[in-house]
Amino acid sequence: MAAPTAIAALSASVYSPGDQMLLTVTYSDTDTKPLTVTIVVTDAQGNSSAPVKVTAVIDPLTLTVTDDSGRTWTRVSDNGSVAVYRAVA
Amino acid sequence: MPRVTVQVRDAAGHTATATANYALSQPVLGGYYLSGGADPTADMAGGNFRSLTQYRSFADGYTFPGYNRPWLVNLGKAGVQMNMVLELKHYGAPNAGPQSFTVDGTSYTVPGPSMTIQQRPGTTWPKAYGYGQVLRGQCDGLFHRALAQYRTLGFGVNIQLASELDTDHEFGTTEDSKAYTWAESDARAVQAMNYILTWFKARTLPAGTTFSIGLGGFDRACFQRTHPEALMSRLDFLQWNAYATNANDTALSRFRRTKDWAVADLGPVALSRPVIIAEWGVRSAEIPNQPAWIATVPAAVAKLNAERGPRIVRTNYFNSGWGTLSPKAAGLAALRTAYATRPYV
Repeated sequence: MAAPTAIAALSASVYSPGDQMLLTVTYSDTDTKPLTVTIVVTDAQGNSSAPVKVTAVIDPLTLTVTDDSGRTWTRVSDNGSVAVYRAVA
Repeated sequence: MPRVTVQVRDAAGHTATATANYALSQPVLGGYYLSGGADPTADMAGGNFRSLTQYRSFADGYTFPGYNRPWLVNLGKAGVQMNMVLELKHYGAPNAGPQSFTVDGTSYTVPGPSMTIQQRPGTTWPKAYGYGQVLRGQCDGLFHRALAQYRTLGFGVNIQLASELDTDHEFGTTEDSKAYTWAESDARAVQAMNYILTWFKARTLPAGTTFSIGLGGFDRACFQRTHPEALMSRLDFLQWNAYATNANDTALSRFRRTKDWAVADLGPVALSRPVIIAEWGVRSAEIPNQPAWIATVPAAVAKLNAERGPRIVRTNYFNSGWGTLSPKAAGLAALRTAYATRPYV
């Protein structure tokens, strides 16, 4: 399995107390792929059900964000490759 | 400096880690300037005024604290951050000709100013010590005289060289009968500013001394020309001025105009420097309700500082010229309220 990659970028380098801080994490892993499984059930007489589809992600990534000042970062969005977190300065 | 750490982990336990550092800023310093270099102590008393702009000509024999200005020493010792604008511009008589004086045992004779600036058609063009005069070392005595006085102040200041280079050069300059375009004047000024910085930085300066150069910030090309990285590496602040002179001017639009140009055009060294707004003001002719406009400034500054790019750290209201508060009492009350609001607290 391949190793993942991650890049972290803050919306500013200096914040005034009380400011909203935004952290954008861009991440990926070459193994991480969405997969769609289509299932059709067929009986002995050859009757088939309508196909049903389920999706799965192979080797999903887990993202954790920590802050050594103790601030809590809350996830605002995550599309599987870019995640945005928010905290208050 | 706080650090945020991001870890990405896959099912097999492979990880990738990324970090980003950030800093928490001090409040923005709310500041002031009173017409004619008059004593602002009474206007500032009781309000959260922590910054002050002052103008002096290098031609003046009394640069620090200025002639008959003991209040400046009192305010500085009380912690008010001084932005001392030192200009090559000559303010008029006296001392319009050559000057001879002795500083720390060294005798100097400085020739009269040989350049004209602010060459607006139909006006009398002010004189200034020429960039050529500076580069030839003819103004060293002026710098030495200012430095000797500065050392007696008892606190460090920001020395802003020139008030507004763009205003000075907008219609070209002339030195020794030779005319220079706006762009040529900018290039010559950068050389002269470098010379003055080298002169001061080679000497012992009071602790806390910082430097900047002055611009109105109304012309993008000029702002770029006057902020090369080599010069910015020797400066501590960016600076521009912000005035509302049109009924449609918002605080956000006026404070952000030059910042947007800086972010788009300047290099990483320049953008690492915080910003002093040496002058800001609201012209009552177009915006009669000055207090209402002033009330929108804290949110505008906070918004700009929350964006990428250099942070605004001082804003000095210019109660003079375009910014004259009228009526003064209502304007001052609005300033006090604004400076008691985040990001000023």
